[in-house]
Amino acid sequence: MISVTPKASLDNESRIDLNNLAPEQVALDVKNLNLYYGEKQALQNITMSIPKGQVTAFIGPSGCGKSTLLRCINRMNDLVDSCRIEGEINLHGENIYERHVDVAALRRKVGMVFQRPNPFPKSIYENVVYGLRITGNNNRRMLDEAVEKSLRSAALWDEVKDRLHESALGLSGGQQQRLVIARAIAIEPEVLLLDEPTSALDPISTLTIEELINDLKKQFTVVIVTHNMQQAARVSDQTAFMYMGDLIEYSDTNTLFTTPSKKKTEDYITGRYG
Amino acid sequence: MDNMNVGRHISGQFNEDLENVINHVMHMGGLVEKQLSESLTAVYEADEELAKKVLANDYQVNSLEVSIDDECTRIIAKRQPAAGDLRLIMAIVKTIADLERIGDEAQKIAQVAMESFSSEQKDLLLSLDNLGRHVLEFLQATLDAFTRMDFDAAVKIHKNDNKIDREYEALMRQLMTYMMEDPRSIPPIMSVIWSARALERIGDRCQNICEYIIYFVKGKVVRHTTPEDMNNL
Repeated sequence: MISVTPKASLDNESRIDLNNLAPEQVALDVKNLNLYYGEKQALQNITMSIPKGQVTAFIGPSGCGKSTLLRCINRMNDLVDSCRIEGEINLHGENIYERHVDVAALRRKVGMVFQRPNPFPKSIYENVVYGLRITGNNNRRMLDEAVEKSLRSAALWDEVKDRLHESALGLSGGQQQRLVIARAIAIEPEVLLLDEPTSALDPISTLTIEELINDLKKQFTVVIVTHNMQQAARVSDQTAFMYMGDLIEYSDTNTLFTTPSKKKTEDYITGRYG
Repeated sequence: MDNMNVGRHISGQFNEDLENVINHVMHMGGLVEKQLSESLTAVYEADEELAKKVLANDYQVNSLEVSIDDECTRIIAKRQPAAGDLRLIMAIVKTIADLERIGDEAQKIAQVAMESFSSEQKDLLLSLDNLGRHVLEFLQATLDAFTRMDFDAAVKIHKNDNKIDREYEALMRQLMTYMMEDPRSIPPIMSVIWSARALERIGDRCQNICEYIIYFVKGKVVRHTTPEDMNNL
């Protein structure tokens, strides 16, 4: 006998709609972004909105443009002579590629962590306060508070609190990467860009950083580039799949990894790529 | 198997793992189909030996369920499948559970062959056999749809379960009438009722398997949905 059951929802109603974000939900708005290295086009008409307070992952095969796109967000590509950009990236409604934009100020608001940990050859303390000192903040008490707050946020305080004035180069790889994250967040950015932050780390350090990312999104908007698809699936709220400079698919992570809508995405994440 | 898009992984070992588990599911489906067919024959022909064979062979179905489940667990642990591969493994894990239960229902039906029926009551066995053959066809169609991961066939079969239900209800009315007319016939009739119920449950299990096919192909969860939602797929 068939019994009529209450209608079950076929959609996850709590999923964020990336195509219809309210202005206050948007951290970064990328509009028709094209990037050229000389004659070669590396990014093709990228348009996407990155939600505030969430983790967005860029995945794709080598050379697809994911790190290039990431580096556009804090204008690191300005350092490449042959690089030319068309289109906009709006940070809280302002195009960061306008002529009048102070790039140094932008890079304080948009911090970056790279694949290889790159602590300065200074003490742990001086690494964290470096950004604060160059902005003119030398109040000892405020610096001490900032160091503790940043190192706690980076899940490193307990391990280094008794040796803050020892060299940062004496830390392990995983600790160094967390120190670099603490350094980035000490100046209270709005956005954190992580370019394969755990590629050079052991599995335990990797999981520690992933736990940290989950905490960081409570304070910052996080954008992460990763080659590790399972990592993208674990840490991110939404994922963008890129291929040969194109944005192929961009949706919430659960959907992309269970029912991707594009065949190229399906082929890549199931290992049928190539 | 083409629709399952098993091949073309960069990892040949992953291809092989998936092909193996799918082959084992097909084998299990074939075994369950045979169990049901033989149980119906045993009842209709009052063949106790065949019934005993069905009862004895259920352990093979159970063993397959355990081993395929184990294979799927290893694939999940080793490969972290995503997208279609993940949905395929999830569909397989759920399907083998339903196939194992169908095997148990076939066992229940085979038990009826051990009962004695009068010549008047043998008409009931004919009605049971008719229902049984329809359910067997239903199971065969479901297994075919699973082999091909055929979305359209799965939707059609899913809707046709109500025909099985109606035939079951008609048989139940017939059995009730028999029992009311002759209370002495209640004990053997009860066996027939349990068998009819087992057949109706097999129909429901086939419907479940169709839902897993739909989930694999379209990524839509259609469990606990209304017929109207099914029409909108």
